[in-house]
Amino acid sequence: MADAPLVVENLSFQYRTRPEVAIKDISFELHQGEMLLIAGSSGCGKTTLARCINGLIPRSYRGKREGSIRLNGKEIADMPLADVAQVVGTLLQDPERQIVASNVFSEIAFGPENLGLPRDEIIRRIDQVLKRLKIEYLRDRETFNLSGGEKQKVALAGLLVMQPSILLLDEPLASLDPASAHEALEIFRGLADEGTTIILIEHRVEDAISARPDRLMYMEDGQVRYLGGIEKLPPEIDHHKVKLPASWVVERIRALGERMDYVPPAKLKTDSDPLVVFNHVNFGYNEEKQVLYDINFQINRGDLIAVLGPNGAGKSTLVKHAIGLLKPTAGQVLVEGKDTRKMSVAQVARVLGYVFQSPTHMLFAPTVKEELAFGPQNLEFPKAAIDKSVRESVETVNLNGLEEYPPLGLSFGQQKRTTIAAVLAMQSKIMVLDEPTAGQDYANYTRFMDAMCGATERKKSLLAENFAATMFITHDIDLAVTYANRVLIVSAGRLVADGRPEDVLKDFDLLERCRVRPSSLLRLNLEMFSQTGSFMPAEKLAQYLP
Amino acid sequence: MLVSWKYRPRNTIIQRLDPRSRLIFLACVILGITIPNIWDIRLIFPLFLITVGLYLLARIEWKDVRRTWLFIFILIFFIVGLNGLLSGRGGPTSVMQDTSAPLFSIPLFIPGTTWGFVLKITIVRVFFAMTQIMRMLSMAILAIPIPYTMDPNIYGITFRRMGVSDKVSFTMDLAFRFLPTLARDLSITIDAQRARGYEMDSLKGGIVARLRRLAPLIVPVTMQSTVTGEEVIDAMDLRAFGTAPRTWIRALSFAPRDYIFMGLGLAIFITFLVFKFVFGVGEFWVPPEALAWANG
Amino acid sequence: MEKKSLWEFGTRQVVYGAIGAALYGAFSLLTNLVPLPAAGNITFRPAVAILIFFGVAYGPWVGLLAGFIGNTLGDSLAGWGFYWNWSLGNGIMGMIPGLAMLMIQDYKDKMDIAKAIGWGVAGIAVGILFSSLTEMFVGGIDLNTALVGYFTPAFIGNLVVTVILLPILMIAFAAVNARRGR
Repeated sequence: MADAPLVVENLSFQYRTRPEVAIKDISFELHQGEMLLIAGSSGCGKTTLARCINGLIPRSYRGKREGSIRLNGKEIADMPLADVAQVVGTLLQDPERQIVASNVFSEIAFGPENLGLPRDEIIRRIDQVLKRLKIEYLRDRETFNLSGGEKQKVALAGLLVMQPSILLLDEPLASLDPASAHEALEIFRGLADEGTTIILIEHRVEDAISARPDRLMYMEDGQVRYLGGIEKLPPEIDHHKVKLPASWVVERIRALGERMDYVPPAKLKTDSDPLVVFNHVNFGYNEEKQVLYDINFQINRGDLIAVLGPNGAGKSTLVKHAIGLLKPTAGQVLVEGKDTRKMSVAQVARVLGYVFQSPTHMLFAPTVKEELAFGPQNLEFPKAAIDKSVRESVETVNLNGLEEYPPLGLSFGQQKRTTIAAVLAMQSKIMVLDEPTAGQDYANYTRFMDAMCGATERKKSLLAENFAATMFITHDIDLAVTYANRVLIVSAGRLVADGRPEDVLKDFDLLERCRVRPSSLLRLNLEMFSQTGSFMPAEKLAQYLP
Repeated sequence: MLVSWKYRPRNTIIQRLDPRSRLIFLACVILGITIPNIWDIRLIFPLFLITVGLYLLARIEWKDVRRTWLFIFILIFFIVGLNGLLSGRGGPTSVMQDTSAPLFSIPLFIPGTTWGFVLKITIVRVFFAMTQIMRMLSMAILAIPIPYTMDPNIYGITFRRMGVSDKVSFTMDLAFRFLPTLARDLSITIDAQRARGYEMDSLKGGIVARLRRLAPLIVPVTMQSTVTGEEVIDAMDLRAFGTAPRTWIRALSFAPRDYIFMGLGLAIFITFLVFKFVFGVGEFWVPPEALAWANG
Repeated sequence: MEKKSLWEFGTRQVVYGAIGAALYGAFSLLTNLVPLPAAGNITFRPAVAILIFFGVAYGPWVGLLAGFIGNTLGDSLAGWGFYWNWSLGNGIMGMIPGLAMLMIQDYKDKMDIAKAIGWGVAGIAVGILFSSLTEMFVGGIDLNTALVGYFTPAFIGNLVVTVILLPILMIAFAAVNARRGR
């Protein structure tokens, strides 16, 4: 009998620079064409396991490794990396960092070039791979201008061209919008059906299961807690740590008998004088390339707006108009009644505070305190007011004790809170958040969103307490279901829907046209709407079932 | 902020040349002028005409290069003027023994004092400046078209085929790959800081204060790139970078026109060497008629 | 991560050489956006501080490549042309501070920052001197002109930029490293 493509036996690893063991005593084997889903929160050891399987451990990362990994019967530590690379292809989380060439053709050629294959052979393989992934039309494009989904396909092509028998996919959905993610999962399934063994590492279990993995491995604290089929999941799999389908969460909650304290966002009000008005806003970078078409809406006090839409629909362009970074080519944007064309960005910033997607794009100061003081100083607050404002915002987002710490040295979650505090300190009236959940694993982002939006019977949410209105751009429809009282859908530069979540999100035809994928939570909420009367998280829904 | 390369595909003889032959030509001209130290306008002027001819063949649109030319002219006149002011001495020594009568004099005094001197403009000096400007312009004329006429995607392979190692050549390609990404990161950071009230166009204070005010732009982009780098290293190792001699999928090949072009470069180089070291021609030269005329 | 060796040349050096060069190019675009003071002939190029930083942080090869390729990219983007001697001078400017890589233990320590600045200034001096002196032969100017016209303004501008911005970058890098736990 031939050796299994991958056999892992009693594998443990400890990084040289860290005191604790990263993974402990892991054993499993994979057959040809099998798809294994590995799930767990960050720090569970899944990245370390991946590095062991693709050979970066023990080559690039040093430490103490025990046990063995055999690829087709050969111990991986004894193979040259060039050989491992032809058996295991690794797709990294961010295709942007995997792509090393300026155009698609050269990018796909990179691996075979490094192996020193003959030129004719490389060209033949590239054409084959382009056809297999149906991306022949991308062949001569520049990699920089590709969409996120296209980038990932090109990165994948760059691996398949080396003809690996195992594909290791490390959080491949993280940088994609749901529609592109679904497409990617279809491709992965197809590759498995053709005989490629696939290891899919993903905390979005809800999405990943649509690729129909054969088995699921769940990890916590460097150990395997579950390995088996996906039909019937044991309660060891924690729905706080990985994103499970809503119906599984409900079942688990009922089995464990948990209760949840959830207060839905305040109902939408329409009768106040608007803070921001979009009046027939059109925008284009030049004559040919129009981005926004006739946008009309208002932001009112009490709004918790989720702006939904696929990547490239114009969400960011729209929001940049609200904060004055862009000015309409026709129509006008009024901020507290004033035309943004007559205001500087700094003046608009007194009303709207914008938190960019990635904290690393804005953090620069040597201490948290100085970072938070940056905005108020720019707005020329008096010294005493700055100190007070900084102190209060540290308090609000709970960064106490870290005031003198460098923001660049904080964990991602703390950095994210620092960016919120930086906007809080400017005392703007409206908070605008761009993809608040991006770059975090499920456990961290739910914790973050709960801290921002979670309310109790006695206390309003942090955002509601500090801001007259909040707007978040997202392609995570569950954020709209759970935390918003108003949903805007942007598609191809137009505002195609504006209303309460329960009204807008029940129109599945509209969602499909706009490449917004309904989630299991949305479906379950709609099913139970007659009982509940409002949208809520799965944990709360569990209480409505008999 | 988008990176816009100056390069455009144009159907010109210059762009059909192999990039290697163009760099070799450039090297021939630079070495041809500097090794024998040619200062004779009778040699410099024909070279100047050849470079102008090549420049025109590249058919670069004037509006693209207007600013560059302005800058180059200002720089060259500044440097030549400074050179004349400071000493009047260049490489050749004949200017030192300049005995020609001044054409006219420019008094350079700090107003209201007797501090300064009278700058005497002589026919020798004029010729020297002319030769020097033409010499510098010949180089600039060859250097300027390169960004406009050489595809950024072939820099790596060009260096590889000129004997540079796989890794160094690929560094070039990788730099071109990252430039637009980092420029986009920079523009996002600019937006992010502007949303915090940061105003770029009104940096206040002295030089030190203004440079310090660039930290909110420089620090995030640079630090993020140090983090990105670690992942790029993994990605490249996982695709077997550096494990074996590389194949380069892009091919370069010399056509007959390349041999002709390189031959021209080599001919210039050899001609200059021969003139200087065989015939002793190449030192700074002023037409005797002009000298005679100036000295009355 | 690894025990550092000064002259190692592998994937790591290729990647940071390329990133350093691209940053140099990207920040040369910034100079068109932000009005910086120019005193006479002196121009301030903030990108130089990044080049010195890459040398100090990643070693001489990275400094050399980032400087050479970065300057080529910057001139190319601006449309100035290709001037091998200035590109090489920039390479030297990055390479010399790279020699100090192993001497820097703690990026936020005052003594280590002072060392980095010292090596950076040495690199600037030698690099610009190289380019200025080659201009003597190519342009046929005398030493005084090369020193007054090319060397001094570029040296002063780069010196000021490095003294002010290099410490800021090093302190930030210390924080980033602390987070990475390496």
